[in-house]
Amino acid sequence: MGDSEIEICRNIGDQKKQRQDLHVLAVDDSRLDRKLLERLLTVSSYQVTFVDSGDKALEYLGLIDNIDEENQYQTSSSSPKSSLHDKLQVSKINLIMTDYSMPGISGFDLLKKVKDSFWRDIPVVIMSSENLPSRINMCLEGGAEDFLLKPVKLSDLRKLHSHLLNSHCQKQDKDSIKYKENTTLLETRPLPVLSMN
Amino acid sequence: MENAGQLRRQYVDFVASLYHEGFLDDQFGQLQKLQDEGNPYFVVEVVSLYFEDSEKLMNNLTTALQQHVVDFKQIDAHVHQFKGSSSSIGAQRVKNTCVVFRDYCEEKNLDGCLKCLQQVKHEYYIVKNKLETMIRLERQILEAGGTIP
Repeated sequence: MGDSEIEICRNIGDQKKQRQDLHVLAVDDSRLDRKLLERLLTVSSYQVTFVDSGDKALEYLGLIDNIDEENQYQTSSSSPKSSLHDKLQVSKINLIMTDYSMPGISGFDLLKKVKDSFWRDIPVVIMSSENLPSRINMCLEGGAEDFLLKPVKLSDLRKLHSHLLNSHCQKQDKDSIKYKENTTLLETRPLPVLSMN
Repeated sequence: MENAGQLRRQYVDFVASLYHEGFLDDQFGQLQKLQDEGNPYFVVEVVSLYFEDSEKLMNNLTTALQQHVVDFKQIDAHVHQFKGSSSSIGAQRVKNTCVVFRDYCEEKNLDGCLKCLQQVKHEYYIVKNKLETMIRLERQILEAGGTIP
């Protein structure tokens, strides 16, 4: 990686700006945990959209068609089978953070569905209060970017952000990195599955 | 009427005792770190949510354990939630009681579960009382013109 690219990657001002471009879809059925996560993400300068179930997350991502209901997340002009371009414009999600245990579909189910869909390149982070190696391995092997033990702390988000930033920089080719105003940091570029430190 | 200085000392000693006696763990400190002038009520809001959720969960647990045929899976689900929220707020003793409670659920041990329900209610009401006292002290400090340590 060239020096200028390293400089751009490490520049704190850019990092902050990049974080402000990052839109997180956060999925948790617990009101308390949503409130906590909202504060953590806001303090870390992320933009957040919250849903309280895996099904609502799929709906938001356009992976469940709601022909009968008025779907507030789709533009009025789009049909349920909206184009990929429309989906990108409407949601512009850069990161999904989901609780593991939820009523209805689990965080792991959500992970699998996302990885099987148009959104497969978006990193999915799973959060759980249970420190079970089998669960952690299953999620990482299922394509999760990371697995965070609850309660999530600010330091976890800082580590996660540098993970995401570093893997993005590593994936860059020889062209210099240009961050445009409206460009989201993590475009549709496959990110490697990182093992937990 | 105590002055701000005395109240601050009282507050510091009181909070220290909560950590020392294991009622709260480091996670509560994490919550306090997330509060600032822009979000001065963050801790109070989180604590209020915890109280609301906990009352509901304890009611659900009481009802579930009174059923003719006890559904241990359902009870475990409620305890798991209670453990989670207690952990998120740093209510260590409540959380630890929930861990034991879940073990009894797995064993389908009704007697054990009933004992744990009593224990978890006991621990919850103690920590609720302590947190309310802490919040009251904070308010008194501010009213006396001081800042919260």
